[in-house]
Amino acid sequence: MSFFLESFSAAIRLVASLDPELLTIVRVSLTVSCIATVFAALIGIPAGFAIAYGQLPGKRILITILNTLLALPTVVIGLFVYTFISRRGIFGPLDLLYTQQAMIIGQFILIVPQITALTIAAVSRVDERYRKTAKTLGADTWQTVLVVLREGRFGIGAAVISAFGRVISEIGISMMLGGNIKGFTRTMTTAMALEYDKGSFILAVALGLVLMTLSLGMNILFNLIQGRSRR
Amino acid sequence: MILYTLSQITQRYGKRTVLDIDHLEIEAGRIYALLGPNGAGKTTLLNILGFLEMPTTGRMTFNGQPVEASRTAILHLRRQVVLVDQHPIMFSTTVCSNIEFGLKIREMGKADRQRTVDEVLDTVGLRQFKFAAAHELSGGETQRLALARALALAPRVLLCDEPTASVDAENQAVISVLLQQINVTRGTTIIFTTHDRLQAAALAQQTLVLENGRRAATTYENSFAGTLIPGDNGQLHCTLHGKVQIPISTPQPGCRPIRSGRIYIDPEKITLSRTADQQEPGRDVTGTIMLIMAEGEKIRVVVNIGVLMVVLMDRASYQHHCPAIGATVTLRFAANALTLLDACDPPS
Repeated sequence: MSFFLESFSAAIRLVASLDPELLTIVRVSLTVSCIATVFAALIGIPAGFAIAYGQLPGKRILITILNTLLALPTVVIGLFVYTFISRRGIFGPLDLLYTQQAMIIGQFILIVPQITALTIAAVSRVDERYRKTAKTLGADTWQTVLVVLREGRFGIGAAVISAFGRVISEIGISMMLGGNIKGFTRTMTTAMALEYDKGSFILAVALGLVLMTLSLGMNILFNLIQGRSRR
Repeated sequence: MILYTLSQITQRYGKRTVLDIDHLEIEAGRIYALLGPNGAGKTTLLNILGFLEMPTTGRMTFNGQPVEASRTAILHLRRQVVLVDQHPIMFSTTVCSNIEFGLKIREMGKADRQRTVDEVLDTVGLRQFKFAAAHELSGGETQRLALARALALAPRVLLCDEPTASVDAENQAVISVLLQQINVTRGTTIIFTTHDRLQAAALAQQTLVLENGRRAATTYENSFAGTLIPGDNGQLHCTLHGKVQIPISTPQPGCRPIRSGRIYIDPEKITLSRTADQQEPGRDVTGTIMLIMAEGEKIRVVVNIGVLMVVLMDRASYQHHCPAIGATVTLRFAANALTLLDACDPPS
């Protein structure tokens, strides 16, 4: 118990002292995960909306495939992307392996199905009468789409936040495609794994605290926005 | 002036035909009531009149121009007609923003928008809720806000799907007065659906009745699910809702032995007399008077015989019999009083 408390207090001191190494790791993690989430949202939200709103052939099959992809292990995605960007892969000449771009590609593939599936769920929950009301009040197709998106905004927001939570805490892709290079591709999760291997828990616990605080902060922000809109 | 003309309009969902109208004309500036039981096709017809659905087949004109299925043409037409739903839904924003929605779409300036919002909120008596969250309004207030949101757009046609079905008595009266006021002051054509024959009679200048997607040449009242069973001595027994038997003196020509379906009994072909008068057992049905009201040259009497049966009496007959509420009376049905609207074989 004392070992845990010592590690915990040392970790808090490390966070409070704004340790440069810790800050670099957090910055890399946030950069990679934010960019992956933004790109995944740019693809996943319109795709999810189109699937939920439109009358696409094979819609049910598409949704089943997306739901299956939600359970895809990160190491499988890591391996899949690796085969394309390794020296022998078709994108080998681009020299992407062990770069932040490779991690972004992997994380993007990880959460696009998640954002799409959750957007489908969010848009499907929007009452059909909103669409009819917008139309009868004179809205054209795009204005009607915006109404439905606005009414489903909290569900869609939750989809993006949960996707961010998934990528910021994943390790398989970051390790396999980033290589855990200090100051360059070392993220919070890969650094924690390394520190654990070394038997050095202080930085690992400190990074864990930052990770939990980030997650908590995102959820508080989301709840605040949701609560404000309901007032 | 004829605003809508519908010819040979059908609407099918899959293999099911939900609407089949040979011909319908709607005049501008009038109030129409659309009566009919659930599933009669009232809402489908409103959706077609509101250009929210295109019919499967048929021709339609609006303001003398054929209705084209192109997206631009439909959008142009839709901006002249507003449909208020039975359970209207408000955007998750303020009362003011809900009303402004359609005005912004029509690119109205901010000052004009505010003036219009204030005007329509005054009309429906919701000015004090201008900046309230629309979702927090009660059912009746929501219905009035939906009317205000529609009115702000100054539509040529206002379509209302059961506007008073889900509100309390006070709001029912407010909404009925509002609809009349809108028609008189703005000249807006109003078409509303209802189950309430009395509301239709009170509000509308013309009543259209739908039965199984078709226009019915009835007044909707005295329309029951029933079975026709041939009896002795050439009599035909009609069982309404499986519980009330009505004897008809001669069978309907062309009727097969036992038939079930929707039965319409013409209220003008029912004779009402006091029980003390000569009564023939097996020919007459007794009941209690529930309601008496004047309707033009006729007197409407509602008699409870196990189902509520409407009898339309002329004034001379009314003065002769002097029926009173609560009195027991006998009803006799003329041979041609009964029409089987949509016959089907009875369940075995």
